[in-house]
Amino acid sequence: MLKLHNLSRSYQTDNIETMALDNVNIEIKKGEFVAIMGPSGCGKSTLLNTIGMLDNPSAGDYIFAGENVAGYSEKQLSEIRKKSIGFIFQNFNLIDELTVQENIELALIYHKIPAAERKQRVEKVMDKVGIAHRAKHLPNQLSGGQQQRVAVARAVVGDQPMILADEPTGNLDSAHGQEVMEMLQQLNAEGTTIVMVTHSPAHADYARRTIHLFDGHVVNENVRAA
Amino acid sequence: MFRNYLITAWRNIIKNGIFSVINIFGLAVGLMSCILIMLFVRQEIGFDSWLTDSDRLVRMHTSYSMPNRDKFETVRSAGSMMPAIRDYAKNEVETGVRFIQFGITVRKGEDAFAEQATMVDSSFFSLFDLPFVQGSKTSSFNKPMDLIITERLALKYFGRTDVIGETLTICCVSDNTSEVAITGVIKNLPDETHLNTEMIVRLQPLLFSEDDGTLHTWTSLNVYTYFKLKPNVTMEQFQQRIDYWMDNESPLRDMFDNNETVTDFVQQRLMPVPDLHLNAKQHAGNMGDLTPMGDSNMIRTFIVVAGLVLLIACINFMNLSTAKASKRAREVAMRKVLGASRTQVALQFLGEAIAIVILSLMFALVAVEIVLPLYNELLGKTLELRLFSDPALLLSLLLVAILVGLGAGMYPAFYLSKFLPGQILKSTKSVESKSSTKMRSLLVVFQFSISIILVISTLVVYGQTVFSNNINVGYQSDNKLVLNVRPARENLASLKQELLSLPEISSVVYSSEAPTQDDENNNYFKLLETHSDGTANEQVLLNYHNMDFGFFEAYKVTPIAGRLFDENYGSDEINLVPENSSEPGKGSVILNETALKELGFTSAEQAIGKTLAHEVRGKQHLTIVGVIPDIYFRSIKFDVRPTAYTLNPTRLRAASLTFSTDDISSLLNKIELIWKRNVPMQPIELEFLSEMMKAQYNDEVTTAQLFLVFSLLAVVIACLGLYGLSAFTVERRTKEIGIRKVMGASVRDIVSLLIWQFSKPVAIANILAWPIAAYAMLSWLESFPYRLSELWLIPICLGVGLLSLIIAWSTVGGNAAKVARKNPIKALRYE
Repeated sequence: MLKLHNLSRSYQTDNIETMALDNVNIEIKKGEFVAIMGPSGCGKSTLLNTIGMLDNPSAGDYIFAGENVAGYSEKQLSEIRKKSIGFIFQNFNLIDELTVQENIELALIYHKIPAAERKQRVEKVMDKVGIAHRAKHLPNQLSGGQQQRVAVARAVVGDQPMILADEPTGNLDSAHGQEVMEMLQQLNAEGTTIVMVTHSPAHADYARRTIHLFDGHVVNENVRAA
Repeated sequence: MFRNYLITAWRNIIKNGIFSVINIFGLAVGLMSCILIMLFVRQEIGFDSWLTDSDRLVRMHTSYSMPNRDKFETVRSAGSMMPAIRDYAKNEVETGVRFIQFGITVRKGEDAFAEQATMVDSSFFSLFDLPFVQGSKTSSFNKPMDLIITERLALKYFGRTDVIGETLTICCVSDNTSEVAITGVIKNLPDETHLNTEMIVRLQPLLFSEDDGTLHTWTSLNVYTYFKLKPNVTMEQFQQRIDYWMDNESPLRDMFDNNETVTDFVQQRLMPVPDLHLNAKQHAGNMGDLTPMGDSNMIRTFIVVAGLVLLIACINFMNLSTAKASKRAREVAMRKVLGASRTQVALQFLGEAIAIVILSLMFALVAVEIVLPLYNELLGKTLELRLFSDPALLLSLLLVAILVGLGAGMYPAFYLSKFLPGQILKSTKSVESKSSTKMRSLLVVFQFSISIILVISTLVVYGQTVFSNNINVGYQSDNKLVLNVRPARENLASLKQELLSLPEISSVVYSSEAPTQDDENNNYFKLLETHSDGTANEQVLLNYHNMDFGFFEAYKVTPIAGRLFDENYGSDEINLVPENSSEPGKGSVILNETALKELGFTSAEQAIGKTLAHEVRGKQHLTIVGVIPDIYFRSIKFDVRPTAYTLNPTRLRAASLTFSTDDISSLLNKIELIWKRNVPMQPIELEFLSEMMKAQYNDEVTTAQLFLVFSLLAVVIACLGLYGLSAFTVERRTKEIGIRKVMGASVRDIVSLLIWQFSKPVAIANILAWPIAAYAMLSWLESFPYRLSELWLIPICLGVGLLSLIIAWSTVGGNAAKVARKNPIKALRYE
């Protein structure tokens, strides 16, 4: 699915260069469920954003579906991203002014999918994550768990082959956290590649493989026996 | 405490950068507009109130509403009225004075200068206590023909002001040149007066014979009459006294039947002298006053415009303050936690608002100083900003600043001080409420509605001016010069001959008036023949002009029936007969179409050959030889009157010269040389007809230009506000935009999303503004008998609508594009 080769990302602030990622080499295969762990500031999010093409590497190669996208323009990246990647965030990132249904539909609108089909797909995915009864509610009328379910629905409604989840359970209590993890596991079982950043070893256990980052380096990789 | 507020306020101004600039700049421009308009308004409403006892001075105006005649109004009155009323109303009136205004020529060496002189009764200085520089009101004005001049004239003719005893050579007070000795010098009159006199001459009764139509008449309205009331007498009491006298004791009583009330037909109306400048227009009819009259409607309009521009600036302030509120919520919460009451917090914000307004006021004052010369040029005024010698102005400005500060700061202060510390300190969420967002949209709609109304009004006023200037007046007005030939009475023939000898001049025609020169020569005409349907012939009031042969030909007016005046017939010229002659004088007359209808003809051909009877200094029977289309001799602000044109060589006062040349100045020089040869010692008065026509619409042009300036300012301020608000919105919606981008939105999607958000209020503003502007402008246009078609409002409204949207888009577009290009991830991670 994707391969990072000698990939680095540095930030320049006030003459101080910070290496967020330093010579990272990772390969993720189609259908994998990968967890990324590490202390605050180790580069987890930078890695996830780079994989999600929301951030550009400073050096190295990023091969996505056979193409080296490292030097691609914002517009090209946006096209690939739209087709291939869904996102889930710690703070849900739902639009406050839109209802549950509209939030989920948003992803499809930008995919230029006709209205009738959009409606059908949104309804289907709402059933799947069990949020259909809240379709007309605004995000601030929902609990955290419900909001994250909406976010999951939004991430999968476009049928992208890969989902990137940035601490999806970080703002949830353990019951709701587990609920979300089970949903991700289910998606993975259906064939979606999942890359997830997490602080929770328990939730990392849902993944087949765990990558440990420290100061921008990959320090350890565990593969759980199936 | 106060220092802490000051520091917070200052640091907020600095921190908010662009928002502070928008606030301060907007308020400064708003205040500048206000100050400029205020200076103008203050002068306009301050006319003549500086005169001693101005509250006791009144002027008497006359209006005639006779049956079958148009109402006739003028600010003048009949010469016999003043002494009669003064002596009758002894208990009400201290004294009265009459002005006889006339143009004279002052000769100095080889040069001749045209001046305005005012001949007045001996009581003049008892009413108008003008300060003397040389002489005094007791010593300088004792006998007829005593002459008082202003300092300016003294300097002009003698280069000094101690000129008592010097003489001026004056022409044509009577028919001869005379030497008149100067007996006193007064200070120059300020701009703020309706008096335009620089030469005050004490009335010489010997100049006016008993049958003269100036002083000894009850019906010819040729003098300006003023009274000074006794202390504690109101104008209304005096008015009642005059009305009683008119109805019961005045000589006018004899003009009416016993059962008729004189004041139903003739009214002598009083007006306080300080009101004259702005309100005399109501009584002035088509005739002017001593000086150009102000327009109270225009003053009111501009006060409203100033208020609106300031209001728009205030709305910017309110919108940006409340929009920025969430940024300061934490400060408010902390102050409250530390023990501040809501009132204290509110006062802090009000104080900040007032501080910002005062800062803006300083910028505004600098701006006023900079633009004042331009503004004066536009208005033709000499307004000054004398801040420090004028404590009233300074105080009123400070008051305005505080009011604006309160007005603009009240809502933000109320809104910001409402925050409850518990909620704010706990949550990371935006404290922005739905209602404040709505309120802002509402205010933006309001701002843009006002701006749009102003812009539409400007365009309509401009359109009407363009329309007026380009209307088909019915005659050829290009390449025409108009020469006043009143002083050349004896030399008309030689003058014409010499002018025609110039190769550039193709025709010279004489007439009693040139186009645009209004007159009030109205007289009764009666058709002698009966109509074919037997309708009886009434006396009909027609306006009449006199002319020489060739006038209509020179102006390219062609008859719709009959012919123009023609020397070859030998019968066109009016043959004047003495007043007591039994045999009527004969001559020809040409009518315009309106006169044709007035006389009851159904076709122009019908009228040809018929006879009009008419009496001016002897009876006349005039044969109708031709009918011409209606031509606009007057400004199109008035209707075309029914008009009779006659051929009377004794009443010619204007020459119309048709020329063709590229070298205008050499032509003018040649004409002046010819003038000097034929009419020595008289100043030449030569004007382009096109300029005279334009001058008819000067008021409208000035109004349009001022409107344009202030409505553009309004638009600029409103756009600034929109820019600030869009910058803020973009800031607030960063997260949402980030989400949308992650979801796959392109830069274009985001920009159009944001632009739509700001197009909505502007579109609504248009829909609200159009009917209001249309209604206002349609009623304004109603005062013009000939006006821009109502249909023009449609493209104007649509055009302004489109323009407002384009302006809104370009205002918002920059901010939108900037945020749309941003990397979304920052917005999503760190809130």
